[in-house]
Amino acid sequence: MKAHSSLRNRFHCNFRLSGKAARLFVLLTLLGLSSYIFYLDVTIREAFEGRKFALPARVYGRALEIYPGLKLTREQIIMEFKSLGYHENPHPDEPATYKLTQDGIEFTSREFVFGDGTQPAQHLRIGFEDGRVSVLQSQGNNDVDLPLLRMEPPVIGGIYPGHNEDRELVRINQVPKLLIDTLIATEDRKFFTHWGIDPRGILRAVYKTVTGQRIEGGSTLTQQLVKNFFLTSDRTLSRKANEMLMALLLEMHYSKDEILETYFNEIFLGQDASRAIHGFGLASYFYFDRPLNRLEPQQIATLVGMVKGPSVYDPRKNPELSLKRRNVVLKQMVNQNVITQEQFIVARQKSLGVIQRAPAGTSPYPAFLQFVHRQLERDYREEDLRSEGLRIFTTLDPFVQHHAENALKSRLTEIEKARKLARNTLEGAVVISSTQTGEIQAIVGGRDARYAGYNRAIDAQRPIGSLAKPIVYLTALENPQRYTLITPLDDSPLVWSQPGTTDWKPQNYDHQFHGQVQLRTALEYSYNVATARLGIELGIDKILDKLPLYGIEQRPLPFASSLLGAFGLSPVEVAQLYQTFADGGFRTPLRAIRTIVTADGKPLQRYPLNVEPVAPPAPVYLLTAALQGVIREGTAQALINWLPAEMNVAGKTGTTDDLRDSWFAGYTGDRVAVVWVGLDDNKPSGLTGASGAMTVWGEMMMNIQPEPLEPAIPEEIEIVNIDPVSGLRYDDECRTGILLPFIRGSAPAETSPCGPSSGDASGSIDEAKPGDNNGSRKKNWFLRLFD
Amino acid sequence: MKNRLNWTVVSVFLLLLSGCVGVATEPTTLFPPGEQQPGGGDVAPQVPKTEMSRNRAVIALLDQAQSDNESGQRDAAGASLERALRIEPRNPWLWLELAQVRLAQGQYSQAITLARKSNSFAGHQSRVQASNWQLIGQARVAQGDSTGAEQAFKRAAEFARQAKSDEDHSSVFNFQ
Repeated sequence: MKAHSSLRNRFHCNFRLSGKAARLFVLLTLLGLSSYIFYLDVTIREAFEGRKFALPARVYGRALEIYPGLKLTREQIIMEFKSLGYHENPHPDEPATYKLTQDGIEFTSREFVFGDGTQPAQHLRIGFEDGRVSVLQSQGNNDVDLPLLRMEPPVIGGIYPGHNEDRELVRINQVPKLLIDTLIATEDRKFFTHWGIDPRGILRAVYKTVTGQRIEGGSTLTQQLVKNFFLTSDRTLSRKANEMLMALLLEMHYSKDEILETYFNEIFLGQDASRAIHGFGLASYFYFDRPLNRLEPQQIATLVGMVKGPSVYDPRKNPELSLKRRNVVLKQMVNQNVITQEQFIVARQKSLGVIQRAPAGTSPYPAFLQFVHRQLERDYREEDLRSEGLRIFTTLDPFVQHHAENALKSRLTEIEKARKLARNTLEGAVVISSTQTGEIQAIVGGRDARYAGYNRAIDAQRPIGSLAKPIVYLTALENPQRYTLITPLDDSPLVWSQPGTTDWKPQNYDHQFHGQVQLRTALEYSYNVATARLGIELGIDKILDKLPLYGIEQRPLPFASSLLGAFGLSPVEVAQLYQTFADGGFRTPLRAIRTIVTADGKPLQRYPLNVEPVAPPAPVYLLTAALQGVIREGTAQALINWLPAEMNVAGKTGTTDDLRDSWFAGYTGDRVAVVWVGLDDNKPSGLTGASGAMTVWGEMMMNIQPEPLEPAIPEEIEIVNIDPVSGLRYDDECRTGILLPFIRGSAPAETSPCGPSSGDASGSIDEAKPGDNNGSRKKNWFLRLFD
Repeated sequence: MKNRLNWTVVSVFLLLLSGCVGVATEPTTLFPPGEQQPGGGDVAPQVPKTEMSRNRAVIALLDQAQSDNESGQRDAAGASLERALRIEPRNPWLWLELAQVRLAQGQYSQAITLARKSNSFAGHQSRVQASNWQLIGQARVAQGDSTGAEQAFKRAAEFARQAKSDEDHSSVFNFQ
């Protein structure tokens, strides 16, 4: 009995145990399953919520401001129209269309939301005369003269979420009914009634797969959306199962409209170089350059047809396949009564009608965009940049950028040809900014300006060579009691010893020593030895201490060779340095961003103009006079081949050891520009500053048509007629000599009697002041002095 | 307290100044006595805008800046002035206007720098120089630098006098 009962107990116990195990198993399975479902639920909801509003930041170039008197040709404005995506049309009444007229252009602008409000679309007329805008009128019942027109700015790129996804957000109520109906008719007829999956569709798909007919999707729109979120292309059963579970979960949480809206914004519809085109809103612009509500039936059919295979049915890459697919969709549209038979017949006969455009990728100006992005990264979280739909207004001027890119490309090709260098080996970089506002107008990061890779303009730190010399000379000129433009400097052999280093014996580029030379001559001809001696006299640390003032953050080693530019800077940093010289001693931090506006048009952040006085204006004026001498009679004389003498350009060539780096930095009345040319592997290119970078500089500035340099004369400055031989002051009545600026009280007091040509009618006065318009180039007083 | 003390110093000084200069200061400064408040700017100077620029686009932007400023939107006013400066970067009046906005925003050292920059483009235009020094004086008052302010006001008066005598000769200005 006992045994019995114990047996029964044991049995009971076993039974109970196994029952418990089973229950535990079921429980655990359920638990596991539900936590897995819970996990899927969280994942899909995160994806849905996150992506629902992930809008890239859109980056704009400068808005062109047009006003009567502006230097602007019709060709230039057509270029601007092209960058804005305007089209020629004999009746330019629709936004973004234009027509050429006899003496000008007639067009309708787009509505645009600026940081300071919405500017409506306007019908306008511009007349041109002598390369300038002569008429600016808004056309309507009465034509009205306008003082100023701000064009909408061109989009120059975006900062995209995830895999460079770009989209143009549309609300479900903005999607035309025809598009919704077409999508439903083509992709998922039961969309409004199913729970996220379509069992019969799945069975059909399974049957076809099992019977080996073909592997088929049978996906609902909801499933397609889920699939699009996770962008994997493997066709495993487990992925399919996950997809179905997630689709069911999505349908539990969200309404059909919400799912459909997200679908319209999310679905992948093509690739533009590195940029992924997501959603119908953007695709509509990308393929047909129009908003969704203006799409015609056959265009809707083309886009819906692409859902099946955006790459296969890409109307640009595979127009034939795309057309075939479009017509299949049109057929379904008429079969499902989405369109009438008449509409079908008309639509079927139309061509694809895709606009032709060069792939721009994430930006046609990757180097500039990279600079903008880095500035933004300092102030914003990356995820906000990629998802909040910020609108970023920048300073890029496509006209200036275009000429900078072209000059770099064409000059490097020509130099390679002329010097029999291997093709496509030379590289270069360009930075152009506005003198008075510090706005960067162009950045070229390499000769292939479209390549979004190594950006030499901001990342290449190359020794700047003689570009550093103005820092030494400005330091000297800040002490007018001791240094003027004509102070003699010693250009005889120099040995500089410093404990811990080998002796340094600087050489001049021509391997000669020039004895006593005037200060301005030493800079104009870029004499290394005279400069090094001057720098040592002034104090190496004292000079290097000034770099932060001019916006140079790094500190070169305290060696005399640093005075001759034996330290690396990027072209952008050099532009910052020369900006201060160009702007009379005021430092304006270079800016690429003007304002940032939220997606709904509210100003979020401004980057206002900021000015800091870092060098007294009078010595800077003297420095500019000497830098003008560099072009008038010094190392950059050949610039005359591109820019007339009246431009009065100030600039400096830079060449480093063994001709590895060729630099030119200079400024006109309105622009500061820096060019670097060299080889990426740092091998010698055989180019000096004048034979390489300067030629690029000259060509691009010639095309940009800068303003002549006429710096304001500071009150401490007086202009004095000097005898170039003795360096003494000439009598006022002398008609020969050279006019030079001096800080009051520093000009030589002693006068020299008039020279041999004095009083002679042929005698002339050379001017060497920055505002000089008539400087005689015929006689090179320097040569006379030393011959 | 400190501010009030400075304010007294300046008021007394201005009183003396107006005594010395007589009528000369009144039409030439942007801040007629009584409206001078450190920190309170005014983009609507008494100089007619047509004398600040001959470019109608610039005048339109000055109008815009003025209305922005009157509605307290200093940032927007600054942005409009920057637009004007892109058209005429060497127009001293525009730099002065921007200095006014910065003064109103309490950015005193930036206001001083911009006024100095305006002066660098002023050439022989004594009126704009008078206004710049006036503004520098106000900014220095706000910074608590009463000695510096006194010097600035003195220079403002000198330029105002100069402007008055220039005006007697000719009222044509040219800054392009």
